[in-house]
Amino acid sequence: MSQIYLRLRGVGMTFEGQIGAPDGLKSWLPRVFRRNTASPGRYHVEALKNISLDIGHGERVGLIGLNGAGKSTLLKVLAGIYPPTSGTVERRGHVCPMFEFATGFEMNQSGWDNIRIRALLLGMPRAEIEAKIEEIGAFTELGEFLSYPVRTYSSGMFIRLAFAVSTSINPEILLLDEVMGAGDIQFAEKARKRMSEFMEQGKILVFSSHNMEQLSTLCERTIWLEKGQIAADGPTREIMALYHSANGAAVLA
Amino acid sequence: MAEPGAKVSRSDEAAARPARVRTPARRLWSDSVHALRVWRVWMFLGVQDIKARFRRSAIGPLWILFNMSLFVIGAGLLYGVLINQPMRVLLPYLVTGFTLWAFIVTSLTESAWAFVNAEGYIKQFCYPKQIYLLRTLVANTIILLISLTAVVPVQLYFRSFSLIGWLLAIPGLLLLFLAVLGHITVCAYLGVCFRDLPHAANGALQVAFFVTPVMFPARMLLERHLAWIYELNPFYYLLEIARRPILEGRPADPQIYAFAGIYVLLVWLLAWQVARSLDSRVVILL
Repeated sequence: MSQIYLRLRGVGMTFEGQIGAPDGLKSWLPRVFRRNTASPGRYHVEALKNISLDIGHGERVGLIGLNGAGKSTLLKVLAGIYPPTSGTVERRGHVCPMFEFATGFEMNQSGWDNIRIRALLLGMPRAEIEAKIEEIGAFTELGEFLSYPVRTYSSGMFIRLAFAVSTSINPEILLLDEVMGAGDIQFAEKARKRMSEFMEQGKILVFSSHNMEQLSTLCERTIWLEKGQIAADGPTREIMALYHSANGAAVLA
Repeated sequence: MAEPGAKVSRSDEAAARPARVRTPARRLWSDSVHALRVWRVWMFLGVQDIKARFRRSAIGPLWILFNMSLFVIGAGLLYGVLINQPMRVLLPYLVTGFTLWAFIVTSLTESAWAFVNAEGYIKQFCYPKQIYLLRTLVANTIILLISLTAVVPVQLYFRSFSLIGWLLAIPGLLLLFLAVLGHITVCAYLGVCFRDLPHAANGALQVAFFVTPVMFPARMLLERHLAWIYELNPFYYLLEIARRPILEGRPADPQIYAFAGIYVLLVWLLAWQVARSLDSRVVILL
């Protein structure tokens, strides 16, 4: 197995568009006649600015930062879901993203079929899916509901299903976006256990969290993002201290 | 490097070299190649779409055949009288033409939702989004193949069935699939930015339906010195490359294949341009 890594060089991610009017004929027609890109309704958000970082084999990295600091955007760039608007991303290894548990279902298909589809989209080979599907189904504890179309599910049931599938694959690079709490109390306990086992397997783990306890137990390295830039990057304890003093000061000021 | 197909990262060859700028075109190309390689994924999704469509319906895909036969009986009787054509020629012509036409129309209208409907997937899984184009092609192709089987009983009844003809239709059908994949690509990308597109396309295609020889033979236009109406119509060539062999048991004229081929090239050129300029923005616009 070759070395697994993530390498970002000068990565920037800018979102541009029109506030209010969605891109489309409605906003495009007037634009053709008035080539004025700086009209007041336009927005230009630099979600990430000049991010360079290397994450190597075996590293567990936490992402901290206030809401809107760019944590989710960075994870999506790492996953290859967002193509960066500048800079380069190199990745070696199979990426397993765990970003959302509430979307990406085929509403008219059964729970079993949705398990198959999700597993397939996460890169699991068909044979492995069929071998594991019983175990995945059992973990969800959804029983006969798995034969029903998922449009009959409650939001908690969606989470159970998605969680069970995502944690059943063998990840090389595992990217998590604040997805720790899953389901009701009883399930959450079970999920926490499975999650920590799962995270042990990942050869690279990058996850964003506001749970400082979790960060300090899981990661030796932490990256602090602020306004789309890396404010600090280093051993978790040091970064955590910096982060706390900075944000404490911000509150007081 | 020795990883199995689906797991190959996109930067294998670039790994050792210093950072290289990935132009949109290069990214699009490597994504498309990657998408083709994971055919198991989009095949499964496409088949699953069809299964879901007919789940809980008593006769399932037979509805396609049932609706088609209703249409054929109705249209056949009416048009047979109106344009005075013998049934044994007209009925197979109508069924084949209408089925192929529906396949083309779907690729230009409904496929605008290919990315929009896959939003939940595109935003959280890292497969290249081109797999959702191929998934649409798979689903549409299954529908086409089911409806085409309606031609067989009609041909058997009129004793005009020709197995050779069906085999000779395969190159034409393959060319048609290429054209349709081009349509799907253009519509899916544009459909993300312009949500009005499928509605507009629907209107335009209704007009096209009346000037394309689907419900009437091309000869009728020729006799009235209106041959240019179909000669300038790319859909005519797309229909003929599959319809002529099925109905007449021999390949279509070489120039018909040539025109269809040129059309496919032009559509793919357009598809490439559209995809290149929108590829990186799709996920943001969704």
